[in-house]
Amino acid sequence: MSDIPAPDNGLAGMSADEALAMDYALGALDRAQHKAAALRVVGDPDFRARVEQWQSLLAPLDEATAPVSPPENLWAAIAAETATPVPRPTVETAPMVAPSRGWWHNLSLWRALGLGAPVAAALMVALLAAPQPAALPTAPAAGPQLRATLAGSDGKPLLAAAFDPASGEVRFAPVAQSDAGAGKVPELWVIEGSNPPRSLGVIDIASGGAHSIPRDRLAGLKAGSILAISIEPVGGSPTGTPTGPVIATGALSAT
Amino acid sequence: MTAQPDHAPGASAGAAELAKLLQRVAEGDTAAFKQFYGRTSAKLFGLILRILIERQEAEDVLQEVYVTVWRKAATFDPARASPITWAATIARNRAIDRLRARPVRAQVPVEAAHDLADEGPPPDAGLVASQDARRVAQALSLLEPRHAAAIRACYFEGVTYDELAERERVPVGTLKSWVRRGLIRMRSQLEGGEA
Repeated sequence: MSDIPAPDNGLAGMSADEALAMDYALGALDRAQHKAAALRVVGDPDFRARVEQWQSLLAPLDEATAPVSPPENLWAAIAAETATPVPRPTVETAPMVAPSRGWWHNLSLWRALGLGAPVAAALMVALLAAPQPAALPTAPAAGPQLRATLAGSDGKPLLAAAFDPASGEVRFAPVAQSDAGAGKVPELWVIEGSNPPRSLGVIDIASGGAHSIPRDRLAGLKAGSILAISIEPVGGSPTGTPTGPVIATGALSAT
Repeated sequence: MTAQPDHAPGASAGAAELAKLLQRVAEGDTAAFKQFYGRTSAKLFGLILRILIERQEAEDVLQEVYVTVWRKAATFDPARASPITWAATIARNRAIDRLRARPVRAQVPVEAAHDLADEGPPPDAGLVASQDARRVAQALSLLEPRHAAAIRACYFEGVTYDELAERERVPVGTLKSWVRRGLIRMRSQLEGGEA
């Protein structure tokens, strides 16, 4: 889509990233750019820190907006919607799956991701089965492979992915996606620079951990691009950009 | 955590209490959640309403925002933001998502009636209470009026660069320069004034 703006095109001496962080915090980006930046915030701690700096700087402006009491009945609606307890990952009561590091026990993480127990459990199975990126199934590589470690919003790794340009497949550490639950599926995205995320399709990783990328979408898969996974309705995002929570992001690098 | 007494005047003495409430919300404490709602919802609703104008839509978004607060309370990190800034950021982003999802944006008359050049003195000045807010309003008022107005339009109304450039009849690059240079000046002003 849009190229990185030339230095004289309104960047005001900033790097493109710094300008993007500012634009995002200010709220001036169009829909696709806003979504893409939101993804960057999840997956890129440096970028997030920049955004947060601008947010804190601008936040006192909010005091200039007069408070407006919401209608009385709104609380009831919110209380009803949150009355259903947030599904808790099964690990909470299954200490025997506790290997060395306990980040997947981090309830907050799963709650933050807005994941139902089944998805959380499925990801967990993947990690228990192959906690190291090294345990990825190695594809017979005809070209240089690209790898990414996809991490959640707290920077902890969730999944490892490897892209084999020869086969056009992205392989994941095997994920037993027995049931994603509640009509939700993971969808894979690639983000190049400040472009909006491009879908690489709904991931079916239940069967063997390989996901074929349509030929016409391969171009963006290069070192430096960011892979992201969001949770979408069955069939994938209805809008063409991520609509559900982004559960993991990570940059591709050559192996 | 930090020994420094975080006396952010904008967040008032309530920041610490709100942070405690959020911590309880993260543990699934519905009473704490209700209190948090009681203390923050009018502010967030005001922010959302200012962006969306349309009341029903703003109510829908406010509901989404608090459901998000309930689910994400555990991700709140007092070292990174004040509780109210954290919640307000969720609200603004949700409102902007909703605004951007509208098929056409031209139909909101209040915005169409705006003319940046005519906006006059910042309406913020009289309303603000906290020291932080006064400092930011002050920094904004030192900018060229048209630039300050562009920043306000983006921040308060959620207007995009493209829309604003069209409204102002200037190239998008020019408008971006106004806003970005303006924000950088504001930042140095605020950082300088802090010494």
